[in-house]
Amino acid sequence: MQTRIPQTSAVISALLRADFTILWRNRRSLRLVLLVPLVIVISWKGLVDKLGGEYVLAGGITIGLISIGLLGYTNSIARDRDKGVFQRLRVGPVSAWTIMASRIAVQVCMVMIMTLSVFIVGYCVDKIAVSPLGYVTSFLAAILGGALYLSLGQLIVGMIKNPETVNSTTRLVYFVFIMVGMFGELGVLGKVVEDIVHWSPYGVVNTLIATSLKPEKWTQQTSMALLAALGYIVVFAGIGIKKFKWN
Amino acid sequence: MMNNSPITSSVPILEVSQLHVSYGTFQAVKGISFSVSSGEIFGLLGPNGAGKTSTLSAIEGLIKPQSGQITVAGFSVLEKPLYAKANMGVQLQSTSFQAELTITEIIRLYSGIYGHPLTTAEVNAKLEEINLADHSKKKFGELSGGQQQRVSLVISTIHDPQLVLLDEPTTGLDPQSRRQLWDRIDTIKAKGHAVLLTTHSMEEAEAVCDRIAIVDHGQLIAIDTPEALIAQHRNDPDVISVSRRGKITLEDVFIGLTGRAVRS
Repeated sequence: MQTRIPQTSAVISALLRADFTILWRNRRSLRLVLLVPLVIVISWKGLVDKLGGEYVLAGGITIGLISIGLLGYTNSIARDRDKGVFQRLRVGPVSAWTIMASRIAVQVCMVMIMTLSVFIVGYCVDKIAVSPLGYVTSFLAAILGGALYLSLGQLIVGMIKNPETVNSTTRLVYFVFIMVGMFGELGVLGKVVEDIVHWSPYGVVNTLIATSLKPEKWTQQTSMALLAALGYIVVFAGIGIKKFKWN
Repeated sequence: MMNNSPITSSVPILEVSQLHVSYGTFQAVKGISFSVSSGEIFGLLGPNGAGKTSTLSAIEGLIKPQSGQITVAGFSVLEKPLYAKANMGVQLQSTSFQAELTITEIIRLYSGIYGHPLTTAEVNAKLEEINLADHSKKKFGELSGGQQQRVSLVISTIHDPQLVLLDEPTTGLDPQSRRQLWDRIDTIKAKGHAVLLTTHSMEEAEAVCDRIAIVDHGQLIAIDTPEALIAQHRNDPDVISVSRRGKITLEDVFIGLTGRAVRS
């Protein structure tokens, strides 16, 4: 009797098809994830002249990334773990990493859709035009930023088992990031908070994306933000994966 | 769509040897050993918390045992988990599939995962087999308990595994659905596959299983055919004391061996 195990590519293909179908079925929540950054870009039209188009686009993209990483990925992982979906998948001849790779691929796709939507709305509504190089580098920065918030989501779902607690935690973190991030960065909450926000996951992603939109403005501080973002990813993902329980 | 390095096996379908499973300081399974051969339906019985689910989870590769060996079709669950899993089909106690997918999509997903991708026509044929062709567009959660169990069983046997693990497959089913599931389990057996099932229904164990193992406090306390177990223990005072109508049943033997106390 011969035993053959399925090829990894066939398994990933089956998982991707299912995960993208689920994304499509949940297009209402997808629209909500897109709505917040687009509303920000439209409502901040008045800031384009004062703070620059890159500030407005970076703000919208950063908040979109937080939505995807915290509200989308984290809650779906917590829910599926609680319902035993992962357990059912794992009793098949499937490596654990393929399950996560498929989930992350879907989120990366969402990051790309959201970033593209912000660029289009920014151009059409706010008349924000960026150089081709700026679009490419900021696209890459958005993916890096997406990785940061996905790893933060992984940290939350790794540390907290209860899906309800995960849900409320992600909403709290989302709210804190948006409120403290936006107001703190503008200096409304004082210098100390401004400095903290600048080096927080919100601040480093915002800095990276804003500078990537105008790559010629890349400074040593941007490089430091890049290093900080990579550091956050390593720490969050490392702890999140180590602490993660499949069931 | 398969790897090019097949491995040949020629050993018993399931062998569990000196299995120990611990959760912290609590020992859930203490040295359980048994084997299941092809064409055999083997029942694992025990009160709540006896160690059945831990044993099953270790076989499924969901938890890592403290010590012991588990082989499926000759492949160690610990050393060659993917090969072992490729030889087993599993129906979990509380089956949960992705809520957003239709049953057709779920079957296609798992057929891909097990390396036996099915076309839509083949999926429809599978659904026809279990009288669910009219429900192909329904989500798993929209099906009745019996229909859900039929879909789960189809998925657990989609790759024609040598070993099928069924964790309390008939819990919550009406008598008709239960009988239908028993017939399907017999069909699996008739194909020469081995079946390991856990159940709390002594009627089911007697009706379906060729051999039974009774587990309590993490240890295997009896193993034999249902008839032999009844014959061996019919004169035990503990068994006689729990007998209700004079005739000794498997349930009397079970309660006689594991005690009357209700487990949490």
